[in-house]
Amino acid sequence: MKQRATTLLLMLPALLLLAAVFLYPLLRYGWLSFHASSVLTGLVPVPNGGANWLRLLSDARFWTDAGQTLRFAVCSVALELAGGLALALLLHQPLQGRGALRALTLLPWALPTTVMALGWRWILNDPHGPLNAAIRSLGGSSYAFLSTPATTWFFVVLADVWKTLPFVALLLLAGLQTIPVDLEEALRLEGASRVQILRRLTLPLLVPYIALALLFRLAQALGVFDLILVLSGGGPAGSTESLALYAYLNAMRFLDFGYAATVMLATFLLLLALLGGGWLLLRRGGIERTPDRAT
Amino acid sequence: MNLTPAAGLELRQLCRDLGERRLLDRLDLKVAPGECLALLGPSGCGKSTTLRLVAGLDPASAGKVLLDGEDLTDRGPGERQVAMVFQSYALYPHLSVEGNLALGLKVRGVPVRERQRRIEAILDLLQLQELRLRRPAQLSGGQRQRVALARALLRQPRIVLLDEPMSNLDAQLREELRPELRRLLCGREQPVIYVTHDQQEAVGMADRIALLEGGRLQQVGSPRELYADPANRFVASFLGRPAINLLAMEPHRQLGLRPEHLRLGDDGAVAARLQRREWWGHQQLLWLDTPWGTVRVLTAPETPLPTEPRLSWQRQHELWFDPRSGERLAHGRI
Repeated sequence: MKQRATTLLLMLPALLLLAAVFLYPLLRYGWLSFHASSVLTGLVPVPNGGANWLRLLSDARFWTDAGQTLRFAVCSVALELAGGLALALLLHQPLQGRGALRALTLLPWALPTTVMALGWRWILNDPHGPLNAAIRSLGGSSYAFLSTPATTWFFVVLADVWKTLPFVALLLLAGLQTIPVDLEEALRLEGASRVQILRRLTLPLLVPYIALALLFRLAQALGVFDLILVLSGGGPAGSTESLALYAYLNAMRFLDFGYAATVMLATFLLLLALLGGGWLLLRRGGIERTPDRAT
Repeated sequence: MNLTPAAGLELRQLCRDLGERRLLDRLDLKVAPGECLALLGPSGCGKSTTLRLVAGLDPASAGKVLLDGEDLTDRGPGERQVAMVFQSYALYPHLSVEGNLALGLKVRGVPVRERQRRIEAILDLLQLQELRLRRPAQLSGGQRQRVALARALLRQPRIVLLDEPMSNLDAQLREELRPELRRLLCGREQPVIYVTHDQQEAVGMADRIALLEGGRLQQVGSPRELYADPANRFVASFLGRPAINLLAMEPHRQLGLRPEHLRLGDDGAVAARLQRREWWGHQQLLWLDTPWGTVRVLTAPETPLPTEPRLSWQRQHELWFDPRSGERLAHGRI
């Protein structure tokens, strides 16, 4: 009993910090979401019952954005996982200059998102960007990539994949390195092909790492904000707008803090539900390892 | 074993280079069908390298691996029908015992019914029925070893290779498992190579021992041959515990005398003074100072020590070596 009290006491500073940083804003959002607080109320919170939440339910823009955010997250995370796995498998091979190659791979990930997004915006610039210059030199004519929903969406996903694929690859590479070589050799002796080894041995043993990457990346992708703000601004015509961007616009452009808090909290709850599911998957995929292997 | 000369495993001038380093140097070795050969030597001597070359896990830099006269050298590990028990056992951690056994058969496309029949048979043989649903992490070291063995035998191999299969077990269990391992492995029709750095294990398991050092074969023969008639100083000092006494009695030759062949008495060639006594229960080891340095003598535990002890031995037990090369010198040979 006494030991428990000590434990709690020792954890208290950290818990207080977490409460201040996470719990307080959440409670504040919760409180604010039941108030009107906009230019109309002179930015003073006035209780308005569940009006914000009712508005949210019938807010087509919110649900459109939710769909767009989900589509963005699923597409980019799926591509990142597939590409990251391929890259990890490549970097796991005994190649010459493997160390340098690994470091090089990480570069896009080390770049700040805003800088990276600005770079992409310049690449796609119509008509001065390098991509259009290349198209023209091949005899084509310039194209305004960021003015149609389909191409904009494509490049937003591409930019995100380009930036975060190395992270996924690194995580999966770490996973690959925990698999003892002799397991693969044992299966090779049984006559297994590379594909069979991948399917029967490597992938099952990599499940916890894949789940971890999935969880990390889904959480980040569902909260995507800076990339979209800089690269497309949510456009054209809101076709790439994410939930986080919508909440931001409600607060900072429309100065409707009550509704912004509602959107924020709703986004948070949706994310929590999705990640909760992901976490269960991670726990189910947890592999028991032989703890005391020699060498 | 009266078989045609081609039967069994044959290694011919087998070499393995890694960069500038020669890990294995022109190894010639034959293992008859049903014979268990121990590859013995200190770590880094090339014994595991040899095993990996036979398995096809590493490519040979030169030389040949032949099985029943058939050249396996350029075949991949999956095409050699070689079974290997790894030092770590290499059990698939995500699969149950049954799954570990089944995976290899699945990979080779063995039909379900045949698969089940063979798995049942091997589970019975190794008394693993009760553990069939356990994961490797839920097994003891000895049980893991049995599963690894079951997996190796299941594939009906043409060669069985074991890489220090006992080194993860405690000493008592090792001794208990040795007869069982012998019963399961040896006397079947395939050649068995057993890698170990433990001479007791080699003597206990193998029909013949091949002693390696620095990537070179030093000597191959029965444990008795290696002990009584070592080819060089390395063989003489590696085999036999406590180790042989090496005495620089003459400038151009060195005398090797095993501790168990020395007698202490009132008369003898050499004066000695007792330095230390190790009591082992069934025997005692005496450390004695002599004009040629410290000498170890093994005697019965209650042997009384003369007041002025002198060492003696029989001529037939003398082993003479060249002090520089370590080669065995012809004179004094039995």
